[in-house]
Amino acid sequence: MKTFKLGGIHPAPSKITAGMPIEPLPLPRRAVLPLAQHIGAPAAPCVSVGDHVGRGQLIATAAGAVSAPLHASISGTVKAIGEVDGPAGYPMAAIIIEASEADHEADTVARDRRLAAEPQVVAADRTPDGIRDRVASAGIVGMGGATFPTVVKMGGKTPPEVLIINACECEPYLTCDDALCREYAPQIIAGVGLMLTACRGRRAVIALEDNKPEAAAALRAALGAESRIEVVQLKTKYPQGGEKQLVEAVTGRRIPSGCLPADVGAAVQNVATAYAVYAAVECGMPLIERVVTVTGSVAGRGNFLVALGTPLAELLRGLPDDCEVVLGGPMMGRAAINLDAPVTKGTSGVLVMPPAPAPEVEPCVRCGSCVDACPMGLEPYLLSTYGRMRMWDEAAAARVADCIECGCCSYSCISSRPLLDYIRVAKSALRRRK
Amino acid sequence: MLTFSPSPHIHRRRRVRGAMLHVCVALAPALITALWYFGLPALQVTLVSVAACVAAEWLLARYVLGRRDALPSTSAALTGLLLALNLPSSLPWWTVVAGAVFAIGIAKMAFGGLGCNIFNPALAGRVFLLISFPALMTTWPVAGGGFAAAADGATGATLLEQLKYGVTDCLSRSDMLLGHMGGSMGETGAVAILLGLVYLLAVRVITWHTPVAIIATVAVFDLLIGAPVADNLLGGGLLLGAVFMATDYVTSPMTGRGMLVYGVFIGAVTVVIRQWGAYPEGMSFAILLGNAVTPLIDMWLRPRRFAPARKEVAA
Repeated sequence: MKTFKLGGIHPAPSKITAGMPIEPLPLPRRAVLPLAQHIGAPAAPCVSVGDHVGRGQLIATAAGAVSAPLHASISGTVKAIGEVDGPAGYPMAAIIIEASEADHEADTVARDRRLAAEPQVVAADRTPDGIRDRVASAGIVGMGGATFPTVVKMGGKTPPEVLIINACECEPYLTCDDALCREYAPQIIAGVGLMLTACRGRRAVIALEDNKPEAAAALRAALGAESRIEVVQLKTKYPQGGEKQLVEAVTGRRIPSGCLPADVGAAVQNVATAYAVYAAVECGMPLIERVVTVTGSVAGRGNFLVALGTPLAELLRGLPDDCEVVLGGPMMGRAAINLDAPVTKGTSGVLVMPPAPAPEVEPCVRCGSCVDACPMGLEPYLLSTYGRMRMWDEAAAARVADCIECGCCSYSCISSRPLLDYIRVAKSALRRRK
Repeated sequence: MLTFSPSPHIHRRRRVRGAMLHVCVALAPALITALWYFGLPALQVTLVSVAACVAAEWLLARYVLGRRDALPSTSAALTGLLLALNLPSSLPWWTVVAGAVFAIGIAKMAFGGLGCNIFNPALAGRVFLLISFPALMTTWPVAGGGFAAAADGATGATLLEQLKYGVTDCLSRSDMLLGHMGGSMGETGAVAILLGLVYLLAVRVITWHTPVAIIATVAVFDLLIGAPVADNLLGGGLLLGAVFMATDYVTSPMTGRGMLVYGVFIGAVTVVIRQWGAYPEGMSFAILLGNAVTPLIDMWLRPRRFAPARKEVAA
């Protein structure tokens, strides 16, 4: 079984919602749509307060080469364009739409009809340029969490030798990609085919961890006559879905320090992104909803189809009084303290963790667990000390910039030391100095 | 109320105390073997050593370092247990206390406490006693059996002393494997120590690198110079040291490759001391020297990086 070589950990899978079907969450009455749901320049609003917008209508345009446009996820009136509090409490610019009773009803009926019926295929331009235009105008970004505008990764001058579709979902708890593969395999295969055409590639590999046999079987069954695509199962090991680890596992090539997958002839796209490409090109759907796993110590667990802009609170039924809400998986996800903040293009999961009592931090006993666990072959105990002692040059020489912040070091530390926290301190200090 | 913490939000269950308790469990067969062959005096040495180490650490932390919240620690208890197993069972209680105080006070606390010590505290304590009280530390009770010391309180030479001074053949192989011979309390029972090794590997508290490197180096080196391999492997503190002393997290290298170098170094120094040195036994000194070169090994043998930068490859 293929896998990456260095480090890695085996946390408890905790995939509580595995096997649960994708359930549409009721559309929100009020949607908060941040202008920066992607890496790059924030989108520029093209509507004004008071305008009435329809579901799927363009409300902000891409502002520059690395940016993405934004669409209304519900019909309604633009109530405000301005700053709201983000999930961690920091302000962010957003467009706020409020639906009237009639808007809400019409949207819900239209959405139910679309979900019930076979998707309506629209006449589409399936040339490479046509697909790329559609992907760009649909506002599609990497949906694994990195949210890099997808079209930028499709527009390289030299086509990739292999397009890798990341369906690893190596984070514990998360099952949204798994659910998507099981229920929408033909659409995903079609989306991957479109992506291949768009980047003029000849070969694609859909990679999953071997703990998702049903998803792999569904994808293989959907391949049909598509001979350019292959489904490959990888060993279940975190961080199998890390970009550098995934490219190594699939191609055997390691991306040099400071380089991109393209430098070793690979391109990596998330599987949910492939589905979004299909929906955009074949059905004319901009990116206005996504599958989100709601899991952990909360009553209403499941995989939900959620309109972007839906407040987190509407996903969390039966939230315990004391808990930590994490956006994403438990290894790399970020805690949220403002549950009025919305689901965005990069929100793969909303995880509710019990409030763990902060473990007592003990001295490092040099057990070597962090070194063994680091998938980049770094020395987290040393980098962390450099960060704590503000020894930036030493940290740079010890390659702190190679750290992918996967969290394996902090996870495996038997002294409960906040290794990654201090490594982040060193990384950001060095970034500022550049 | 919502709490807020940086990622990762999950952690493995094992903690330092758990790892140390695993080592204590792994030492149980060796301890039982010691009690079986050396009887009540062995129990007394063990209890005194553990109590003295725990008390020394707590008192020093509380009254010398002024840490009012100091608690008796598992790590000091483990040091005490290891120290006891490295001593002859006939050692008077005050000597054991002196060794414990040196181990904890000088080798550990003076260097900054848990995680900061350069030398293995238990071995430092043992070597302190060996140098300070050579006669007491080289008087070996003859092994008895059935949880009793030899009836007449007789003493004798260890296997390695017999080898060193040209006496041969008084021991059967089964006696050597089971520990029915003179020596430090915990070092004689090869089978018991290897059981501990299997346990430590199974619960993943240690990796194979250090013990295998030490044992293989001693075996190969002995073959090359024509020394008796089996006697050298089963006699003296080689196995106890390779499994329990050299694998101490704090004082051994961080990477597998580093541990291999460290193990080869310790094995080679052991053979040199045993073969050409003044002492019949060299394991303690070899491990302490290995501890001393550990920072160099860690600096020299970095883990393999994922991939270098392009320009570094070209250069």
